Amino acid sequence: MKVTISREKLLEGLTAVGATIPAKTTLPVLSNLMVETTERGLRLSGTDLDIAVSMEIAAEVDAPGAITIPAKKLSEIVRELPPAPIKLATSGEQRITLESGRSRFKLLGLPKDEFPAFPAVKFTNPWKIRSSEVQKLIAHASFAVSVEESRPILNGVLWELRKDVMRMVATNGHRLAKMETPWSGTSEATDFIVPPKALEQVRRLFPADEDLEIAQGANHLGFRSPFTAVYTRLIEGPYPNYEQVIPKDNDRVAIADKAALTAALRRTSIVASDQTHRIRLAFNTGMLKFSVQTADVGEAQDEIPVRYTGDALEIGFNANYLLEILRYIPTDEVKLTFKAPERAATLEPEGWSDPAKYLCLVMPLRLVD
Amino acid sequence: MPRIAVLPNAVADQIAAGEVVERPASVAKELVENALDAGATTIELVVEEGGRALIRVSDDGGGMDREDAQLALQRHATSKIHAAADLVGVASFGFRGEALPAICSVSQLEIETATADGAGTRVRAAAGAILAVEDVARRRGTTVSVAQLFYNAPARQRFLRGARSEWRALADAVTTIALTRRDVRLALAHDGKSALALPPASSLRARLAGLWGGRYAEELIDVDDVYGPTHVRGLVERPVEVGTQSRRVHLVVNQRAIRDGGLTRAAEAAYRSTIPAGARPSLFLELTVPGELVDVNVHPAKTEVRFRDRWPVERTVEQAVRRALGTLDSAAGAGQRFWGGATLSAPLQPPTVDLEVLRAAPAMDDGSLFAAGDAEWDAPRGATVMSAAAAGPAPAAAEAAEPPVEVPPLVQLRRTWLMFEREDGIVLIDQHSAHERVLFEKFMQALERGEVPSQRLLFPMTLHLGPAEADAFEANRESLERLGFEIDGFGGHALIVRAVPMPHPRFDAERCLRDSLDALTGDRVAGTAARHERLAATVACKAAIKAGDALSGDEMRALFAALARTTLPAHDVHGRATIVHLGWDELERRFGRR
Repeated sequence: MKVTISREKLLEGLTAVGATIPAKTTLPVLSNLMVETTERGLRLSGTDLDIAVSMEIAAEVDAPGAITIPAKKLSEIVRELPPAPIKLATSGEQRITLESGRSRFKLLGLPKDEFPAFPAVKFTNPWKIRSSEVQKLIAHASFAVSVEESRPILNGVLWELRKDVMRMVATNGHRLAKMETPWSGTSEATDFIVPPKALEQVRRLFPADEDLEIAQGANHLGFRSPFTAVYTRLIEGPYPNYEQVIPKDNDRVAIADKAALTAALRRTSIVASDQTHRIRLAFNTGMLKFSVQTADVGEAQDEIPVRYTGDALEIGFNANYLLEILRYIPTDEVKLTFKAPERAATLEPEGWSDPAKYLCLVMPLRLVD
Repeated sequence: MPRIAVLPNAVADQIAAGEVVERPASVAKELVENALDAGATTIELVVEEGGRALIRVSDDGGGMDREDAQLALQRHATSKIHAAADLVGVASFGFRGEALPAICSVSQLEIETATADGAGTRVRAAAGAILAVEDVARRRGTTVSVAQLFYNAPARQRFLRGARSEWRALADAVTTIALTRRDVRLALAHDGKSALALPPASSLRARLAGLWGGRYAEELIDVDDVYGPTHVRGLVERPVEVGTQSRRVHLVVNQRAIRDGGLTRAAEAAYRSTIPAGARPSLFLELTVPGELVDVNVHPAKTEVRFRDRWPVERTVEQAVRRALGTLDSAAGAGQRFWGGATLSAPLQPPTVDLEVLRAAPAMDDGSLFAAGDAEWDAPRGATVMSAAAAGPAPAAAEAAEPPVEVPPLVQLRRTWLMFEREDGIVLIDQHSAHERVLFEKFMQALERGEVPSQRLLFPMTLHLGPAEADAFEANRESLERLGFEIDGFGGHALIVRAVPMPHPRFDAERCLRDSLDALTGDRVAGTAARHERLAATVACKAAIKAGDALSGDEMRALFAALARTTLPAHDVHGRATIVHLGWDELERRFGRR
């Protein structure tokens, strides 16, 4: 293998693929990245066995070939090089030389055969989706997944493809985020449960204006655009019936200024318990009062004006859950709905002109008086 | 003939002897105490056949003149008090004037005494009657020999045990005195063999080292605390060592060795949750209580005292021991610790304590594990809440803001231990044990106050239980609800869990509940307090992070701070060590630097 490539292109590829390469691994070849020549240039690939990412970058190929190179060393070197063309050449199965100007490096790699094969996903009849649409769903839903390992199914984001809509849902059992956007690309309903780490790569690596091809293998999902591909293992199992827990009859409605609500929550939650972040909200006509009492820390009170209809209500929440959701609410005002202090509350954007629909749901904390 | 007669003196003395002189051990005790009251600095005991044949106590005390030597054998003859008013606040060991005559009445007794080197007196008596008074040449001091104990009281003699058993009791009695009066040189020989040879000791630890070896003494933890007028000091066993060797309890109130179930229980209560149930710690505690608050004239053998108000004294003992267990020193040591000369040569502490000085600085936690340990004596938290609640302490103190805990840089080792450096060495914290301790105290508080925030679940969990687990659930249902579990029975053995506590972000409620019910199966613990403790310990164990969980820097710091705020950071709820301390000296030794 012998190629010449610009430093910027190589660095771009290394940054894209590097995020997937595990920092610590028991399988040494996984800390390497695969470098192989293609008709259009050079393909860089990395995997942690759950997610695989590959990216093709333009390069001048003098002799075709492939090798794996320690990813961290390579990107550190490239980052320190001046902006000048870089020559990569293999000598034997395991050595690669890198030259740029007067700098010369020899790196020890591993033979390409040791690199795990990418998941077999056939793009014969793929779904086609605008990447900005998928990315919008990812950005608004995947934060809500569970990080706890006890229910692996909740560690993934549910992605539903329907006849005229697609939808992503994520929950950790205490709060839930759901976004759906109009889409017509399939006739039969399909569901995936996707690890959020893979979705993050999808959000990061594909330009917003690209059309993505998405296809399903035996237990994998592949995303690809002309130059980039992301493969991920899917999480198996039935996703809990989230429709059932979304309240339909919440009759107490508050509309609040998102910035004011966020600021008050942030202030008062400073004295909330480190573990539960418990905060008490009291809704009255026109006014929302915040109060926090933590045994070993102290107390806080605050209030902001809101548009509230319904009977007075006191309800407890984990302030972090509310703050997190508010970060993703795309509008300046947020609509909150409630039924009772022990029932789920919802948060939605208020006055959103987007065709997409966004709904978040939080379960309250029990208040002890 | 009248049916009621005044008993002859000899008979009355024999009866009195039954109270004071039960067996050789009590004879030895009385004689040694007499020697101490006479100002002896060296006391030698010679014992034969467990004291049945001979008990000889020699001292270098003040001695007696001829007249006193004869008077001493009469009942209620004492040099120690002169009027009833002196009884209050009596500081000498003996004062009732019963001992010598009582012993004399049931043995062949010989006193050799001299008030100065040279001319002295020998008094020989048997069965209470003086047989001879002679001149003798001897050093200053007194030697009392008691031979053929109970030779004239066969009824009592029959109740004596074998020589070995009597010897053991006698040695115990002498040991107790040795612990109490550490300033005195003590020697004890049995059947010609030296059994004890104790030089004057500067500290309790040094005396214990003389008795049972330096290793044993070194492993004990210092207790030293003042509360109100009561001062508690001494040494107690490390929780990790409890149960590994025979248990020894030594209680001293105002220099007097006593037995007191209440104080012992109070000290044991301090160990609660740090040692397995049923294990009993060794305790060597000395209390200084103002003389007017304690009555020592209760029991002829003077092994019991009566407190004017016993509750604050017991509470002080519990608090003092608990505080000692809360220090780093109580954590398990790594490697072998060596008996350094430092403790032995420590300056002799005067027995009187400037109480005001100690009270002004109640934070006597130089040895406390965490620089900013809890300083509020009056705000017991965690496991002590139970007892404190009964006393109705000021809750306002508990509300007060806690000082921030200074967290040193922490490293996680093998996803199991947190390590940090301290001035005197390396400290390792077991993350699971530490978290367990934190949660245990939190859950105990919750059980007492019922104040745990509980997170409602979007998807209620369904648990299917076996019959035994279902029983365990029913037995603990209310307590589980107080811990934040909101559970509906669902007919048969299915439960629906609608809300769970969220003690930490990695909490796996379902597994915790299932494992806890499993562990509680077949439990029959009596008493609400004990049941709460058991439940809190079980749930804490199941809820805590495990060994093998990688912790972020923030998580480590939070755990450290939370642990620092617990009352007993050094011990987990199963009696294992939470904290292991590896001193620099130990490290240096291993590297051959010392």
